[in-house]
Amino acid sequence: MKGAHIRSLVPWLVPIAVVAGWELASRIGWLSSRILPEPFAVAAAFWNLLKSGELLNDVAISTGRALAGLAIGGGLGLALGLLTGTFKTAETLLDTTLQMVRNVPPLALIPLVILWFGIDESAKLFLVAIGVFFPIYLNTYHGIRAVDAGLIEMARSYGLKGWALYREVILPGALPSILVGLRFSLGLMWVLLIVAETISAQSGIGYMTMNAREFLQTDVVLVGVLLYALLGKLADLVARGLERRFLRWNPTYLGAAA
Amino acid sequence: MQRDWIAPSAAGLGVRLQALGKRFGERTVLDAVNLDVAPGEFVAIVGRSGCGKSTLLRLLAGLETPSSGAVHLGDAASAAQRDDVRMMFQEARLLPWRTVLQNVQLGLDSRDAAARARDALAHVGLADRAGEWPAVLSGGQRQRVALARALVHRPRLLLLDEPLGALDALTRIEMQRLIESVWRELRFTAVLVTHDVAEAVALADRVLLVEDGNVTLDEPVALARPRAHGSAAFAELEGRVLARVLKEPPPEAAEAPKPRLVA
Repeated sequence: MKGAHIRSLVPWLVPIAVVAGWELASRIGWLSSRILPEPFAVAAAFWNLLKSGELLNDVAISTGRALAGLAIGGGLGLALGLLTGTFKTAETLLDTTLQMVRNVPPLALIPLVILWFGIDESAKLFLVAIGVFFPIYLNTYHGIRAVDAGLIEMARSYGLKGWALYREVILPGALPSILVGLRFSLGLMWVLLIVAETISAQSGIGYMTMNAREFLQTDVVLVGVLLYALLGKLADLVARGLERRFLRWNPTYLGAAA
Repeated sequence: MQRDWIAPSAAGLGVRLQALGKRFGERTVLDAVNLDVAPGEFVAIVGRSGCGKSTLLRLLAGLETPSSGAVHLGDAASAAQRDDVRMMFQEARLLPWRTVLQNVQLGLDSRDAAARARDALAHVGLADRAGEWPAVLSGGQRQRVALARALVHRPRLLLLDEPLGALDALTRIEMQRLIESVWRELRFTAVLVTHDVAEAVALADRVLLVEDGNVTLDEPVALARPRAHGSAAFAELEGRVLARVLKEPPPEAAEAPKPRLVA
């Protein structure tokens, strides 16, 4: 038991050492606060922003944008992936086009996005949505294609067809792959949102950091950077939680549940 | 224990194949096969791999459609899938995301589905594993779940496509005994495809050899059940069928090997 506790602390040794070294370097004067403020100053800035309510407001707005973009792009990716994975006609019709569009980096679209949507909310949603669309689309499509044909044949011979076959065999069979797509998407979601918010915003974490940069508040900039790290980690935890919940049957997770 | 679901109310289904043929493109896999299987009979089909024995079984299951000729099951000329015909595959083909009990219930939507599935599991000796995931079961246990899944539908014809091929020797013998005992109890018709001649002789009333797209040997097995693998009559029959499969001259009767070796 004690051994387990110690082991669970080990991954934190390096981050703690880095912060300690950083604090020391600031105290001695190796690091100017214009470049990197000391950890305590960052913590203080975090506390002040939290107290004023600004921080929560900005986090809520950014999270809302991220999730809305994920819902739109991810939802479309899932729907189209299910469509092309299931119906040969849909695949013939759509897959080549989507595979071509996939090779365009979403960030390359920024000039167009600004021309189309200006710099308001829809531009940010569009960027996030298009970025998360492809990982979910591709993994859903491949997940459905990779469902064990033997299982489908078995289920058919047991009288399952149509929606029942889909629900019992095809969807659960594709789910591990769909969740991998979701995990990729959650990572991309933040990256794209940061870029979108940095270009222009009147609220959100990106706005907070860009604003702070104007006033040389490096501590606030760092709070923003750390927030993105935390939110990214949180999204990853959620994705892993979903995998653990929905893939309980998978040998990979059987050990973890015990 | 309540076991009304297994009451042999509907006995085995008779099978009649009339000039049944199957081609895949240019390749003729089965060529005008004629065969009668009596209701309740246990027939084993042996043959080299690729001889068409699995195709024959899949035609019976309605998983393939005949290129020519017809399959008659019971009174019906049938090539479609039927609820009273069930198939066991070479792999257990359990849904990994469903528990053992849910797997047995697959395709069963009566109100007492869970109770029936539990009974079927008890029948194959796995009542206590009902709530587990297939991933934690051994290969033999998975095939037993697959057997329960087939039995729960009260099949009148059970098709077995080398279901024991991947099991170790001991588990195999255990499974053979289990299959034989449920067959004797429930009186369904059974068609077993296997490449193991000993298995065919141990289980079947008749051993058929499929060769070059046709049935070239139809050997009744008149041994009393349960059959002892070691008996002389068993060994003699097994040797004869095996020699026929391998197209070798039949072994020198069933005598013990002559002690010709001199050190």
